[in-house]
Amino acid sequence: MSNDDTHTQAETRNESGIQTDGGTPTASAGDDDIHDISFDHDEVSRGYFGITLATKTKWALIKFVTFLVYASMLLPLVVIIINSFNPARLGGFPPASISFRWYEALIQDELMLRALLNSVVVGVAAAFLAGLIGTLTSMGFVRKHFRLKNGLVIVMLSPLLIPPIIVGVAATIFFTQLGIGRSIWWLITMHALLGLPYAFLIIRSQLYLFDETLEEAAQTMGADRITTFREVTLPIIAPSIITAMVIVFVISFGEFTATQFWVQRTTTTVPVVIFSMLRTSISPKVDALAVVMLITTITIPLVVLGIQRKLSRT
Amino acid sequence: MSTSDSRLGPMFDDLMEHDLARFLAAPGSGLIWIFLFLVLPMTVIVVISFATNGEYGNVVYEFTTANYQRFVNGQVYHQIIVDSLIAGVVVTGLALPFGYTAGYFLGRSKTDWKWVLLGLVVLQYWVPFIIRTYAWIIVLSNNGLINQLLLGLGAISNPLDIMYTQYSMIIGLTVSLLPFMILPVYVSVSTIDEDQIHAAKTLGATDFRAFREITFPQSLPGIVSGVLFVFIISAGAFLAPTLLGGPKTRMIAPVIETVFMIDFNWPFAAALSIVYFLVIAFLLYLFTRRVDLEEALDTGAV
Repeated sequence: MSNDDTHTQAETRNESGIQTDGGTPTASAGDDDIHDISFDHDEVSRGYFGITLATKTKWALIKFVTFLVYASMLLPLVVIIINSFNPARLGGFPPASISFRWYEALIQDELMLRALLNSVVVGVAAAFLAGLIGTLTSMGFVRKHFRLKNGLVIVMLSPLLIPPIIVGVAATIFFTQLGIGRSIWWLITMHALLGLPYAFLIIRSQLYLFDETLEEAAQTMGADRITTFREVTLPIIAPSIITAMVIVFVISFGEFTATQFWVQRTTTTVPVVIFSMLRTSISPKVDALAVVMLITTITIPLVVLGIQRKLSRT
Repeated sequence: MSTSDSRLGPMFDDLMEHDLARFLAAPGSGLIWIFLFLVLPMTVIVVISFATNGEYGNVVYEFTTANYQRFVNGQVYHQIIVDSLIAGVVVTGLALPFGYTAGYFLGRSKTDWKWVLLGLVVLQYWVPFIIRTYAWIIVLSNNGLINQLLLGLGAISNPLDIMYTQYSMIIGLTVSLLPFMILPVYVSVSTIDEDQIHAAKTLGATDFRAFREITFPQSLPGIVSGVLFVFIISAGAFLAPTLLGGPKTRMIAPVIETVFMIDFNWPFAAALSIVYFLVIAFLLYLFTRRVDLEEALDTGAV
């Protein structure tokens, strides 16, 4: 920007009466015009020059903080992965050598394999359940008018607001008083509950963008409700349903605080096993199990979302 | 209406002609689920919180206010709730500037790595809390990464005792909850029309002023959502205080767990849960007087 441009800008700014923090044209009202303009011009050019320099510095600072944030988020995960290959029982960091010893021990541990299977089964079942209920519920909320709707939205979202420790205690007392023993169904039911708000919000946001005249057109041409839903509505909202199911799976797979009250030996899940191992005997197997859990919780969503993307593109 | 037709579709249509049936399916199914497995259990623990604890950890249905009296008279329980809320405030206060900066960077940056960086934040969401929390033991303990590094560099002569203190708990919680701040801030910053910022600067606004008057107000929804999630999760955290905290760490969630699982005193655990629920509900009520709760949750979850 040439000097002239800056000058004009300063004048225009004064004429239009816009004031900046630093520039106080009224303060120099008693001085002659030239001084006034040069003061302002000075302010602007200094400011402009200052901005280019300072912006760079500020941006560098922002970059640095962002780097710190990422380092702090990723460092622990990297450390766990490296540590899982440490053959020493009480290994310091970094490990002296590398071995698959703890992974081999893991494969032979029936309890852990069982827990991994339970976690996957519960996660998938909860995802389907919450996906189904979430779809129906969000359609009802978007399409229908009923009383207390705004209040009922908060009810739908309440599992997000009530701390999981309370949900855990409440459900345990409730089922026990009803005489329902701990089983995998208990876990699926409650994990679907914990994931439901996410499913509801994700599918609802897609439905808001939905053109309802498409459905009306289908019904005018003689399609019944099921056909309309299957042929028109579902294909359009399917991506959001799949995203919702992935999120519910991830939540279910990692949930610990409430789940610890709901499992028994045969239905235990990976987070509960890891926790009890950390509390009783710190066995390096826990690192291997954590890495397996890490891989599972990242691969399954990536694969599902990848397939969904490929399908929706064709 | 063709009642003679017996195909499934029209029959379904007929059924769906009844408003009640339609309402029970959508939106009823979700509401029924929440009612059966959350509202009803909460009601049951209100009842149980007025019951007596049996000798063998069973619940005896004899009306008593003893559980609440124990809370009211027990200074230690008040302190636990206050400490939990303070921890929530501290973690939120730390996560906000760091998370905001990272979210702002992602929202404004033009780097090709942006999608990778965004993906890494989403991955953080996917990694279970137990893993992210446990990892800090390896990083912060006396023979852990940080101490080995500092000792190796000669910066310290004795290992720092960070692990199993308030500090390790706060660090672990803050980092675990950063994604809850980064993502909503990113979403709201990235929707800001950059022309507005350029216009402000062309008109002579300083960087700070452009930020204060354009970027900040428009990123408020992200901040509100992040603060809500980070505060609720950190104040009610169980894993971080249990695994990373020290002897002085007293948070409500581990205390409820101990009363429930170790003392096996379900009525008192129920009473503590109800008290803590009411505290959170009151704070949320204050919160909703200033902002839209639904919008805040929506921004955070999607």
